[in-house]
Amino acid sequence: MTTSNELTGAQILCRALLEQGVDVLFGYPGGAIMPFYHALPEFPGLRHVLVRHEQAAAHAADGYARASGRPGVCVATSGPGATNLVTGLATAHMDNTPVVAITGQVPRAMMGRDAFQETDIIGITQPITKHSVLVEDVADLADAVREAFAVATEGRPGPVLVDIPKDVQTAKGRWAEGGREGSGAGGGEPVPAPAELLDEAVRLLGTAHRPLIMAGHGVILADAYEELRALAERTGIPVITTLLGISGFPESHPLHLGMPGMHGEVHVNRAIQQADLILGVGLRFDDRVTGNLAGFARGAKVVHIDLDPSEIGKNVPTAVGLVGDAREVLRALLQRVPARDCEGWRAEIAGLVRPRTDSFRAGLGPEAILDAIQAASQGRCTIVSDVGQHQMWVAKLFRYQRPNTHITSGGLGTMGFAVPAAMGVTLARPDEPVWAISGDGGFQMNMQEMATMVQENIPVKMAVFNNGYLGMVRQWQQFFHGRRYSATPIWSPDYVKLAEAYGIPGRRIDSAEGLEDAVRAAVERPGPALLEFMIEQEANVFPMIPPGATLSDAIEDEPAPVRLVPA
Amino acid sequence: MSATHALTVLLEDRLITFTRAVGLLRRRNLPVRSIAVGPTATPGVSRLTIMMHSDEATAGRAVQHLQKLIGVREAAAFPARDGVARELALVKVRASAERYGELLDVVQLYHAAIIDDAPDATIVELTGSEAFVLSGLRALERFDVVEVARTGTVALAPSTN
Repeated sequence: MTTSNELTGAQILCRALLEQGVDVLFGYPGGAIMPFYHALPEFPGLRHVLVRHEQAAAHAADGYARASGRPGVCVATSGPGATNLVTGLATAHMDNTPVVAITGQVPRAMMGRDAFQETDIIGITQPITKHSVLVEDVADLADAVREAFAVATEGRPGPVLVDIPKDVQTAKGRWAEGGREGSGAGGGEPVPAPAELLDEAVRLLGTAHRPLIMAGHGVILADAYEELRALAERTGIPVITTLLGISGFPESHPLHLGMPGMHGEVHVNRAIQQADLILGVGLRFDDRVTGNLAGFARGAKVVHIDLDPSEIGKNVPTAVGLVGDAREVLRALLQRVPARDCEGWRAEIAGLVRPRTDSFRAGLGPEAILDAIQAASQGRCTIVSDVGQHQMWVAKLFRYQRPNTHITSGGLGTMGFAVPAAMGVTLARPDEPVWAISGDGGFQMNMQEMATMVQENIPVKMAVFNNGYLGMVRQWQQFFHGRRYSATPIWSPDYVKLAEAYGIPGRRIDSAEGLEDAVRAAVERPGPALLEFMIEQEANVFPMIPPGATLSDAIEDEPAPVRLVPA
Repeated sequence: MSATHALTVLLEDRLITFTRAVGLLRRRNLPVRSIAVGPTATPGVSRLTIMMHSDEATAGRAVQHLQKLIGVREAAAFPARDGVARELALVKVRASAERYGELLDVVQLYHAAIIDDAPDATIVELTGSEAFVLSGLRALERFDVVEVARTGTVALAPSTN
């Protein structure tokens, strides 16, 4: 080979990204990643989105991955650039999103000497990445990138960080076409669930009197919508969707029950407490879902389908653990399970349903707002929510029909997620409106990304639920901390003027009047738009299971008991 | 039921893989009693032995978590009493001339060895199960113990055939 076949590490990195099918990167340049940015213009297939803060790059990559099913990529320099990715990577890690983070690092000779902008990002991100690798030789660079994408996507997905010293980016090396085997992550190829376990699960599904299906994020990650629906319809078993399982099962379906857990509907939680069998599909039995474990579904046997064997029995005692991809295992069950109907049990649950009693100032409640959003795009839109009260309303009140149209930070509960994540979702789904719905707290955490939307022409439709409080914390203060509203009143700028300063049309809506027109105008007008909804200040999310209580102990309505939180 | 379990992990002998494995033990809040690491017969592969006091399910889940780490080739757990578990301790003691014979008696009783005998201190090598080593240490505490270095336990599961 002649030297003309040699590329810089930075060029090899770009080629390796293209080889992996990457078409968009979210990033921010800086000293230690400059060689990569120098090479980038030579590779027009790689669209770079310049964010305004690296945290947004990680969330945008996460949103892109969740919406497209392909890994999202973010890029940052060493030191503060890399540390700013941390919250985004932790978010992706908790929700099992395939994200590949590329970070620059100080030159090898400087490493370990507290060089300018040096930080041990491998060490920092170890607990919040699926894997991380420091590339110490340009000859290893392409394979390191290939491995990163393989690890991020194989088995239970997760974020992977590739740290590349500046002198490795400038070093010359040869490009060799890829072709590498699996990463070995997760202990190799998944073994199909043994027939005797499937038979036992089928026996339980066929004989239980009060069975439930609880569907989690695994249904969406495994693209198991059809199988889940077929199993539910074959057996007549009602389906509960966890926060991250929402949109894994159509909400108009008569077998759909709703969301369980801390803010789950009363009839859903009661059904869990009365069930004699729970088929869990791709969920972690997280504490926000189960409430106090000692009092969770005490009469129910649990059949748990999960790709990760370490999840089986982690939180709840499990009668049958079926390790595998949700789609594969559901298919295997479908081949075996006899048809039945759970009519009596469903009627029993229907008797537990509570009428909604929420009332909101000037009729501008989340229900009306979400109805207007639904109507404006005939339901063809993707909703990205932030964290807090609005997140629960968005989870419970929007009627999700299409798969994977609800995206939120579930496990980590990251405020500030919605706006940057929605940028990634929008680039993955250019043909439908993508809404970033935030509270006034979370919106202010990453609202700088409006500049990114304008510069990069990313038409995110932003909705801010403004109640002047960090509402969920205020609600806890009201219920459990003697109404001491410590540090929860939050001032907001004039969002309409702020949006206009960025060149984005904004509108404030303070009553139900004109609501639908305003939402429709935001959807129909090309480009980003901002709607600020002035909602009731002290509205609460009901029902609520107090922390530490069981699913049987819901607070259902005002006035809430005032009591101090136990130590 | 809680018991001492041995986790044996074969992993690539790089510090990053070792820190990943050990970091996982901390992150999962596992009741670790000792950690020992050293090379194996296979070049590039180290053996990490973790002793933890837990029920079987916790030990099993620790294995499942360890198996997910890139760079971990194999991980297994077994109750320590089912396998062979040993540790080594080096104990630097000072014994006066009058009590030196007594020290030799303790060394003999614990099948220990004197591996360094300087005028001001003696280094005793003690090998055995954790309980045996602890018992030997207690016996040596009759003298002036200056320093103790223990390896942590290494263990092998019995072969099954």
